[in-house]
Amino acid sequence: MKRFTWFNATSIALGFAFLYIPILLLVIYSFNESKLVTVWGGWSTKWYGELLQNEGILNAAWVTLRVAVVSSTLAVILGTLAAIVLVRMGRFPGRTLFSGLIFAPLVMPEVITGLSMLLLFVAIGLDRGFWTVVIAHATFSMCFAAVVVQARLYDFDKSVEEAAMDLGATPVQTFLQVTLPIIAPSVISAWLLAFTLSLDDLVIASFATGPGATTLPMKIYSQVRLGVTPEINAVSTIMIGLVTLGVLVASYSTKRASQRQERELKAVDAGAK
Amino acid sequence: MSGAPAQSMSTSAAPGAGRATARTPAPLTGFAPWKDPSKRPIVRFENVVKRFGDFVAVKDCTLDIYEREFFALLGPSGCGKTTLLRMLAGFEKPTSGRILVAGQDITELAPYERPVNMMFQSYALFPHMTVEQNIGFGLKQEGMPKDQIGQRVEEAMSMLELTRFGKRKPHQLSGGQQQRVALARAIAKKPRIVLLDEPLGALDKRLRQTAQFELMGIQERTGTTFIIVTHDQEEAMTVSSRIAVMDHGEFVQIATPGDIYEAPNSRYVANFIGDVNLLEGKVVKVSDGFAEIDWGGGLARFKAVAPEGCASDQTVWLALRPEKIHIDFDKPTDASNAVAGKVVDVGYLGSISHYHVELANGQRVKALRTNSSRLVDRPISWEDKVWLEWPPETGIVVTR
Repeated sequence: MKRFTWFNATSIALGFAFLYIPILLLVIYSFNESKLVTVWGGWSTKWYGELLQNEGILNAAWVTLRVAVVSSTLAVILGTLAAIVLVRMGRFPGRTLFSGLIFAPLVMPEVITGLSMLLLFVAIGLDRGFWTVVIAHATFSMCFAAVVVQARLYDFDKSVEEAAMDLGATPVQTFLQVTLPIIAPSVISAWLLAFTLSLDDLVIASFATGPGATTLPMKIYSQVRLGVTPEINAVSTIMIGLVTLGVLVASYSTKRASQRQERELKAVDAGAK
Repeated sequence: MSGAPAQSMSTSAAPGAGRATARTPAPLTGFAPWKDPSKRPIVRFENVVKRFGDFVAVKDCTLDIYEREFFALLGPSGCGKTTLLRMLAGFEKPTSGRILVAGQDITELAPYERPVNMMFQSYALFPHMTVEQNIGFGLKQEGMPKDQIGQRVEEAMSMLELTRFGKRKPHQLSGGQQQRVALARAIAKKPRIVLLDEPLGALDKRLRQTAQFELMGIQERTGTTFIIVTHDQEEAMTVSSRIAVMDHGEFVQIATPGDIYEAPNSRYVANFIGDVNLLEGKVVKVSDGFAEIDWGGGLARFKAVAPEGCASDQTVWLALRPEKIHIDFDKPTDASNAVAGKVVDVGYLGSISHYHVELANGQRVKALRTNSSRLVDRPISWEDKVWLEWPPETGIVVTR
């Protein structure tokens, strides 16, 4: 497995190049001095400065951030509840249907999710804007949150919750004082995942949005149609940075939590022997 | 099936001296509230039934447990003992029947409204809290002032020698320490009843014996009623004032450890507790409270105390503990039960020796002898022809 061959090295290099050269180019060109996107004119951070002057893009960024925070919070609350129902309630009539319905958006084409959202908002006469985007994003990222939290709940000793109730804690107190602190790492990584998904979504947002609620990906897409400016490169670079950070923190916190849990389990096993 | 449990050995008469054994042993202490009609039980199960779908986990159980008792529910896994305990804690609801604590019907109460605390088999410690926070958790839920919580936690920790570990998290403790934290947490609220679900199952044998005596000490000092679920008969014999032996969701016998051992009411109980010979036979006649039993194969009939409702022609079993059989080379004179056999197996354990003796009808009987003198002229050995003898009072005739 560890043997080095030129074939392996080449295929890895080609694979990574295929994936990351476009992104790398974008990042490099965001530091381009020249006004022409495709012509290199030396290093500069001037487009980041220009960006700070561009109210349209700044507004869009602010909307995106707000949408992401609110929708991921909503998604995590709903997703955690769904996960608890799926793991804790045992068998109830319609359980399979329920779990199927929760996880369907994972594989649903975004266009369909977006279109059906739009139809719903029109049908109930909801004015499209900030909140419709939030609702749409919460809907599709909730299933991701449910998957993440569910995994943690499955290897959670149920008698810990029973012990809390036995000692006089009501179900709500038990959840807040025992269950939530124990599943907290997975709830945080679920939030970060939902946040990242909301941040870079274009398709669903364009269906659900209305006047005054243009998100950054939408803004970029519409500007690109008029011609790519170096500003777009700069804002894209910032977004790549944010998303990468979010994914890294999420995976790191999940990994650390599972490592700690493994250590705890090992300590318990060693103690029992 | 080698060797009777240590505890049962000491409650019964010395092995080999079957003649001296009384029919019903005197209770070890004067504590016997179940015999006092004026005493009210602290826990009462009234015709409790629990079904899970088609499976009946508990079949119509009625049981009284009294204040300060250390009561054991004993049986193999799946016999319903844990379900019974969980119904008392409030985690399962009886399908029918009632559960009363101190006269109050608690069947409908939620777990957090019941005056009982439980120690879990997995300990179920809160992994994100320190030992102190774990022990103080129940008191905090009660809304007790902080300084009082600290005092009570301190008290519980010193009782279980945990003071040094107060600031540690559960994963930084050994199994034995975790077990003590779980116990401290269950007694911290000073509940009237403490439930223990296989509390020592995860400990190794040596640690378990120490922990058993610790449990008894804590129970005595706090004066609390303890109800323990276990599948370990030695553990039940050691710690409890009374044992309920369960099988398939029913109580087979509820009695003191001494009675369970010396007067089992069925083959199941006799077999479950300690080592026993079960000799099948037919009752020939009953007179003066003694039954004459024919066990076929041309062997002499034997005499035993007849159980109530014992009639002629009934198939019965004589439950005879190995240590109550006298084994010797010479035919005993003037013995009501004596049978000859050949030694087929000898197990020398130092303090005692086991003998497996084959009778003329092919049946094998286990007998036990203490090695009271260091040098014996001629020890009993393989292929020796020996006589087994036991007084009519030592065996128990069971009809089921």
